[in-house]
Amino acid sequence: MVETILPIGPQHPALKEPVNFKVIVDGETIVGLELDVSYTHRGIEKAAEQRDFIRVVPLLERVCGICSHAHAQAFCTGIEEVMQLEVPPRAQYIRTIVAELERMHSHILWLGVAAHEVGFNTLFMWTWRDRETTQDILEEMTGNRMNYGINEVGGVRRDLTAGQISSILSRLPKLEEQIGKYVGMVKGEETMLLRFRGIGKLSKAEALKYGTVGPTARASGVDYDIRRDDPYIAYSEIPWKVVTDTNGDVYGRTLVRIRELQESLGIIRYCLEHLPEGPIGVQAPKVAPKAEIFSRYEAPRGELVHFMRTNGTDRVERLDIRTPTLANWTSVTVSLVNQHIADIPVIVAAIDPCLSCTSRITILNEQGREKARMTLEQLSEYGRKYSRERGRC
Amino acid sequence: MDPLLLAVYILIFPGFLFLLTYAFFLQYLDRKIAARMQQRVGPPLLQPFADFIKMLGKEVIDPAGVDRVAFDAAPLIAFAAVMTSFLYIPVVGKSPFAFQGDLVLVLYLLTLPTIALFLLGWFSRNIFATVGGVRAVTMLFIYEVPFFLALLMPALMAGSWSISEIAAWQMEHTWFAILQPIGLVVGLIGLQAKLERQPFDIPEAETELVAGPWTELTGRRLALMHLTMHVMLVAGSGLIAALFLGGPLLPWTISPAWLSGIVGFALFLGKTLAILLVLASIKVATGRIRIDQLNDIGWKYLASATILQVAIVLIMGSWWVSG
Amino acid sequence: MSVLREMLENLCSRPFTILYPKEKVPIPVGFRGKIAIIDEKCIGCSRCAKVCPAECITMVPDETEIEVKGKKMVRKKRPEVKFFRCIRCGLCEQYCPSEALVMKCELSECGPDKEVVVQ
Repeated sequence: MVETILPIGPQHPALKEPVNFKVIVDGETIVGLELDVSYTHRGIEKAAEQRDFIRVVPLLERVCGICSHAHAQAFCTGIEEVMQLEVPPRAQYIRTIVAELERMHSHILWLGVAAHEVGFNTLFMWTWRDRETTQDILEEMTGNRMNYGINEVGGVRRDLTAGQISSILSRLPKLEEQIGKYVGMVKGEETMLLRFRGIGKLSKAEALKYGTVGPTARASGVDYDIRRDDPYIAYSEIPWKVVTDTNGDVYGRTLVRIRELQESLGIIRYCLEHLPEGPIGVQAPKVAPKAEIFSRYEAPRGELVHFMRTNGTDRVERLDIRTPTLANWTSVTVSLVNQHIADIPVIVAAIDPCLSCTSRITILNEQGREKARMTLEQLSEYGRKYSRERGRC
Repeated sequence: MDPLLLAVYILIFPGFLFLLTYAFFLQYLDRKIAARMQQRVGPPLLQPFADFIKMLGKEVIDPAGVDRVAFDAAPLIAFAAVMTSFLYIPVVGKSPFAFQGDLVLVLYLLTLPTIALFLLGWFSRNIFATVGGVRAVTMLFIYEVPFFLALLMPALMAGSWSISEIAAWQMEHTWFAILQPIGLVVGLIGLQAKLERQPFDIPEAETELVAGPWTELTGRRLALMHLTMHVMLVAGSGLIAALFLGGPLLPWTISPAWLSGIVGFALFLGKTLAILLVLASIKVATGRIRIDQLNDIGWKYLASATILQVAIVLIMGSWWVSG
Repeated sequence: MSVLREMLENLCSRPFTILYPKEKVPIPVGFRGKIAIIDEKCIGCSRCAKVCPAECITMVPDETEIEVKGKKMVRKKRPEVKFFRCIRCGLCEQYCPSEALVMKCELSECGPDKEVVVQ
């Protein structure tokens, strides 16, 4: 076959969120790739400039469903440092527990999605059944399965009772046993090994050159984890290990994520058993002094960066969010070349893309437009005209 | 045979009406077993039938520039082929249409749906469908040779080219599952590949190509192609049951003819259900492999196992002739 | 083969699915459910309307006599919550000084009309 363009997206069964890949294929081998990630742009950075510090935290939680605590926490860490607040240790421990539970739920979800991308629907069903345990724990603690709303500038909003602690601790052993089974399955199941081994290989030099972060980079041997290298909340007081692997392919990333699951379970258990007494928050001042702050967080997908500029009022003047998925997209464009079409969903899923986090930019028409705004009817007419003129892609 | 009885055989039992009912039932069982293995609930009994009726009522969409006649004809040809192939499989004893060579005819008819799928993929002017259709035919080249050889070995040993006679041969001697176990395994794997179920659902890879050659099928065409696949499951299981597990015949005869018919029918049901259980387990326990990996595995392991089986059969045959 | 063993175990045990609506999902204490306004306790300070991130609480004029800590006073306004705009973050419940807004443990419904109001 001559070189053809295979459109993956914006609507495609392999993608959980809209992104446009135009893959140029020759037979079954990929020759080139064009990428467009601006489909879920919602103007959150601008909306955050118009809300004061109490009202902006629920907004930032809704940047992404899976990494919601990550965004809220990164923001709170930055603002608390600007205001020089001393957050009580009990609040830090509760924040750590929720953060690690979120990491566990995200990695279990990823394992199911990766199995689904290779057609192994059984593992997908089983992992999502076990994810229900983490969701139930989160619902007991925070009242919600997603978008937890437990963070505020100065501390947390809800406390953990002794009954809740013992009920959570009683559910952890079963979860630990299931995760152990998944390690065995991933290492032993023939079809998964065939589809994961040697796919999307990224060497350590390439990972560093293209700025990959998170489990994607740690699977290539890059030993970098913000929780250890720039600690925030309670990570410096808890014994835990950074997980790396040297494989560099999708199999390596799977192993890194499963071992991180086991580490997170250990962190949660330690925090629950050693929860310090005390208040759960301090009263934050209404305004923040003038400053520029750079706050980092290890989201389940990698290094999340919030840049804030405050100017002495009760709002941020500018908020800029750089998500880990944005940093990892370049590695996808590099590792997809010369692979088969059948490997596209696997390689894309291996960086754990979260498009809602990523779409912070949108590409405007460079030739300029007369109108600065469009009504809904004008927008739908434009869309129809655009697809009619473009024809089949 | 009496023409009226022949008409009843073709149209009602064990012909088309029974075939369609049994196809829906086996599909329900397949989905239910797979769901229970995944700790889900699974569909209710009439779900496959309800899906069929619903699909018939949906709008038929013709993509621009597509040959409508060919698009309509391909599912019909595939459906007619598998329905006809079932007539030669013994269900309650010998099939009244049996003749020398009907094994080859059944194997040929069971290949037609894959060719129809390829044609559908080629005719829909859609990149996903084309790639899917090409994959379907590539898979055909890989698994068809071992599958045919494995299914022709019982014919060689029984000395006949008619399925009913091969089943009858097993009545006097033992089942071919015991005499030719490698052939049974290759036959089951080949059947799973023909039905395009995991780990061989490469043409219809949902997460890679939206639906492969099935992408542009809608409405009654999709309903017919789905029904073709369900009927092929029944026909394929019936074929393997007849060739390797002795079909509906017992090693001893039962005196009233009607009782022997009922017992034979029960045996047919039991054996096809056992084969379905094996196929469903394979489907649940594996993921999808890539087409070039299938190329590797097919020629390295499937083909060599089949050639080993052929060698064993030839050697055994020469011993029996001389001994 | 751990996969095969788990498959066979699952075949012989109950499915994990909760057969809603015959069986109900257990709701824990502290669940963020429907918003309820307790009229006798509200003093009309408008703090809930100011702190809501989704701007779904409006204060409507309403003159009522209420009793707060033994003293009688006249309340000038009371809140109205737009039911389907509420994101159930709980900030209004947290900042209300007289515990007049509570989040109940019932499942919050959903609907298409964003302007529907709950009393």
